[in-house]
Amino acid sequence: MISSRRLGVILAHELRLARRDPLPAMVLIVFPIITMAFLKPAFRPALVLAGHPHANGAEQVVPGQAALSAFFLVSLIAFGFFSEHFWGTWDRLRASPATSLEIVVGKALPRVAIGVAQFLVILTAGVVVFDLRVRGNVIAFAPLVVAFSICLVMLGVAVTAVCRTAQQANAFGVVGMVVFGAIGGALVPLSVLPAWARTIAPVTPTYWAMRGFRSVILDAQGFGGIALPTGVLLAMTLLFAAVAMRRLRFDETKLGMT
Amino acid sequence: MDVVADPQRACPLIGYAPQETGVYLPLTVRDNLRFFAGLAGLRRRARDERIDAVGAALSLEGLFDRRGSELSGGERRRLHTAIALVHRPRLVLLDEPTTGADVRTRGQILRLVQSLAEEGSAVVYSTHYLHEIEELGASVAFIDRGRIVARGQTSDLVRQYGSSALELTFDGPVPPAARLQGATVDGCSVRISASDPARTAAELLSRLDAETAGLRGIEVIRPTLETVYLSVTGRRYEHAVVPQ
Repeated sequence: MISSRRLGVILAHELRLARRDPLPAMVLIVFPIITMAFLKPAFRPALVLAGHPHANGAEQVVPGQAALSAFFLVSLIAFGFFSEHFWGTWDRLRASPATSLEIVVGKALPRVAIGVAQFLVILTAGVVVFDLRVRGNVIAFAPLVVAFSICLVMLGVAVTAVCRTAQQANAFGVVGMVVFGAIGGALVPLSVLPAWARTIAPVTPTYWAMRGFRSVILDAQGFGGIALPTGVLLAMTLLFAAVAMRRLRFDETKLGMT
Repeated sequence: MDVVADPQRACPLIGYAPQETGVYLPLTVRDNLRFFAGLAGLRRRARDERIDAVGAALSLEGLFDRRGSELSGGERRRLHTAIALVHRPRLVLLDEPTTGADVRTRGQILRLVQSLAEEGSAVVYSTHYLHEIEELGASVAFIDRGRIVARGQTSDLVRQYGSSALELTFDGPVPPAARLQGATVDGCSVRISASDPARTAAELLSRLDAETAGLRGIEVIRPTLETVYLSVTGRRYEHAVVPQ
């Protein structure tokens, strides 16, 4: 059960903390815009070869770099928990009237909002600056982006539950971003990946996000094109939530720093 | 009220300050207090009034806009304690609240604990500094190796377990004349239990005679919680800290 008043207090508190240190959230936006600028021309040949003769490279690089950097959400939410242990505030939070669910939701929602805002800015920058032409229904991005952000944040909660130190969680965040990004078709188009990588790609959330983006941007689809990817991302969210519920112990002592 | 069965009702009544200081370092003193007051259910006006009150009691008024990371150790300890008290809890749990605190902070925390108790809050205060407990005049429970070994009012425990003693310190080894029955020797010092330390001192000085030349100091030890602690835990004198 969630008290909306207490949840509001936690949300305001998390946003206050985010305002005090905006750099990590800014990385989500700045990093892909920088990489998009010099990677865009490299992807045009691959898209043309894949059957999109009018592609200019932005169709891959804009959603790809956005999906890749969105993986920072995993580290962001994990640090949200580990920082509490570092500051010594975790036990205080546990002793407060806030329930475990309120604490998790209160920490997760602002990160989901950061993820959604990141996609909004990157996709807008893609259209305005990098000549991204969306052939399908732009509004169909909304459920896909929300589902992908929730999925990554919940993955971050699961990672927090499993890891004992902030360094472990950070290592997973960095390695996961590169591996999931590469296999999932965010780093390079899926069509240029080896067959074995294409076979295992669907186990990554990034694959489903990229599949949804491609269907709208290149294949001119709308909500029908993102329905399956969004559904799979939500199913993955449930899986990560199950791991988090099973492994997240609020009385466990985590190490903010080692 | 069952804390485990009904934490939603119980938690707002509890103010908890763990031994390790816990404050949000990136946030200001006011934001730290606002957050925990808000979680405990205080609305804006009541919340701000309580922040002002607890800030005044712990001399935090001038620090409200300073971040946790910019506070000194004593200031951070005061904020740490203020967070536990900001919602006026009925039960206050303070785990070694004065550890590492400066003299001023220690005095302020003790005065606040006293006023809380006078206002009707139950305060559970754990400490290794026994003179703080004497100052508070509280009901005491001595815990040794995880078990309560003695419990009662400070004055009752001192009367029951405390004993007076005489402590003599010499330039060299303790002379045989000072090794009375029941005396415990620690290096150049000897402690002698005595119901009337002044009379025992007079008798001992006459026994020592010429050996008083080697006497560096003589101190009358009145019964305190420290002597109660040594008595109820069975600690030997040589394991205890000798008062300076």
